[in-house]
Amino acid sequence: MPFFQVEQLTKKFGETTVVDRVSFSLEEGRCVALLGPNGAGKTTTLKMLTQLLNPTSGTIQMDGYEQNADLRTQIGYLPQYPIFHNWMSGKEFLEYVGKLTHLTPTEAKVRACELLEMMGLADAANRRIGKYSGGMKQRLGIAQAIIHRPKLLLLDEPVSALDPFGRREVLELIRELKKDTTILFSTHVLNDAEEVSDDIIIINQGEIKVAERLHTLQEQHQQPMISLQTKAPIHPLIKGWEDWDGVTEIIYEEYAAKVVVTEMEAIKKKMLADIVAKDIPLIAFEVQKSSLEDLFMKVVRG
Amino acid sequence: MKQWLVLFQKELLEMARNYKLIWLPLVFILLSMIDPLTTYYMPQILEMSGGLPEGAVFEMPLPSAPEVLMMTVSQLNLLGVLIIVLASMGTIAAERKSGLAGMILVKPIPYSSYVTAKWAGLSVVGLVSVFLGYLAGWYYVTLLFEPISFATFLQSYLLFALWFVFIFTLTIFFNTVVKVPGLVAFATLATVIVLSVLTNTFEKWMMWSPAQLTGNVGSLLIEGRTLEDLWLTVMVTLILVVLLMISAVNILRNKELAE
Repeated sequence: MPFFQVEQLTKKFGETTVVDRVSFSLEEGRCVALLGPNGAGKTTTLKMLTQLLNPTSGTIQMDGYEQNADLRTQIGYLPQYPIFHNWMSGKEFLEYVGKLTHLTPTEAKVRACELLEMMGLADAANRRIGKYSGGMKQRLGIAQAIIHRPKLLLLDEPVSALDPFGRREVLELIRELKKDTTILFSTHVLNDAEEVSDDIIIINQGEIKVAERLHTLQEQHQQPMISLQTKAPIHPLIKGWEDWDGVTEIIYEEYAAKVVVTEMEAIKKKMLADIVAKDIPLIAFEVQKSSLEDLFMKVVRG
Repeated sequence: MKQWLVLFQKELLEMARNYKLIWLPLVFILLSMIDPLTTYYMPQILEMSGGLPEGAVFEMPLPSAPEVLMMTVSQLNLLGVLIIVLASMGTIAAERKSGLAGMILVKPIPYSSYVTAKWAGLSVVGLVSVFLGYLAGWYYVTLLFEPISFATFLQSYLLFALWFVFIFTLTIFFNTVVKVPGLVAFATLATVIVLSVLTNTFEKWMMWSPAQLTGNVGSLLIEGRTLEDLWLTVMVTLILVVLLMISAVNILRNKELAE
């Protein structure tokens, strides 16, 4: 059952339409990725949901509320570049934000401690935010977004600005958080979307191109695939393979290739035999499934 | 109301952390001391700095106490206003520019609380600074020249304070209109200057003008009574303050806080 619905949401800045009649709905307790290249309209969409931007037209509705009602009590939001009062300590900021979301001073204090603990910021609780690292700020940003236990958590590019280590931490956190709340997060990285989301919405040039459950997409668009790596440039070595029955496509790189196949077993045997026969200098041979990259690329390129 | 207090406390805490709570009053006190002291010690200062040529006779009439206090008033009205406007030019504008305003206003707080808490924070600190400065001026005038009654001092302070509240309101208003702090300061100061010049030039038609409040301060100090249309001036100022605040809230509400 969808509990949050967006209908025909449109945003124009002057003549340019940044978000064009976007409609989707969110089901309770799911983690949804809003996937799209830079400039697709992801941030603008999220900002309209938080009511920081007024939609040019369209409606936003949450279960139990009127259309376009003030939903700020039910929504938590992490902007792409979270900004804090740098002169406050992490603990002070969380307590301040907590009190602004109608917690009593005692509740705010307890909740702040709890969140600092959960985000691994307990040691830095009394340090000025100005001295926090990027990853710490991102975690503090998530903490301030969920302090009032919102029904819907909106995260704008939560992992894009982080190093691989910080990225991993935040993805783990999202996985943890989706047990309690519905999450809509934007990203331009397909892997991040595949890793933690249940549903995927692909948006490009302000329009929704695909909105589907992740595993449905995987079933429909993932194909068995063999990836190869060689010591010498690969193209001349395996040129003839395109013509084999059961090979759909070969994607070449300089020393590597991805062979998309329909019948894995037969092709695999034939390939290995050919490799031995031609004495191809093989480094790696791996049986895989194609990622959703193709689909994403196709959608983005139009 | 609780939320409003949280926002208001945050304003005061911020001003304590960046020492505005200390240096603003200090600057105002210094500004106010300059005129009584230099006027009183002018002969000695001239002496120290080389004195007058031999045989020159130089009669320096000592100004009256109210005149000296008036000098302090104009000092505060000039440099004091400049300093406080510069110190508060970014109070909302800079938060909007950096994205902090967006961060805070996605929380369920009324825009009116956000704006009025800023206004109250600025007013409290500003009025305390003006009071302490003016008090210092009054103290030195009373000490070095003739005594001026504390009642007169208080009355004139109240009029002066209202003028400052009007300036603070202008600052907050322009803070919601533009988001470049420098531009906020410019717009505020330009408005104040234009209003003062117009008021002085066309006094007959500008009796309602808030800038007339400083005229009232002078009249109260020197002649012992306020100008005729004081109540008109006060009413118009209060109405303008309310109107400016209402528009500030509305402007901010309709601004796109995220770009």
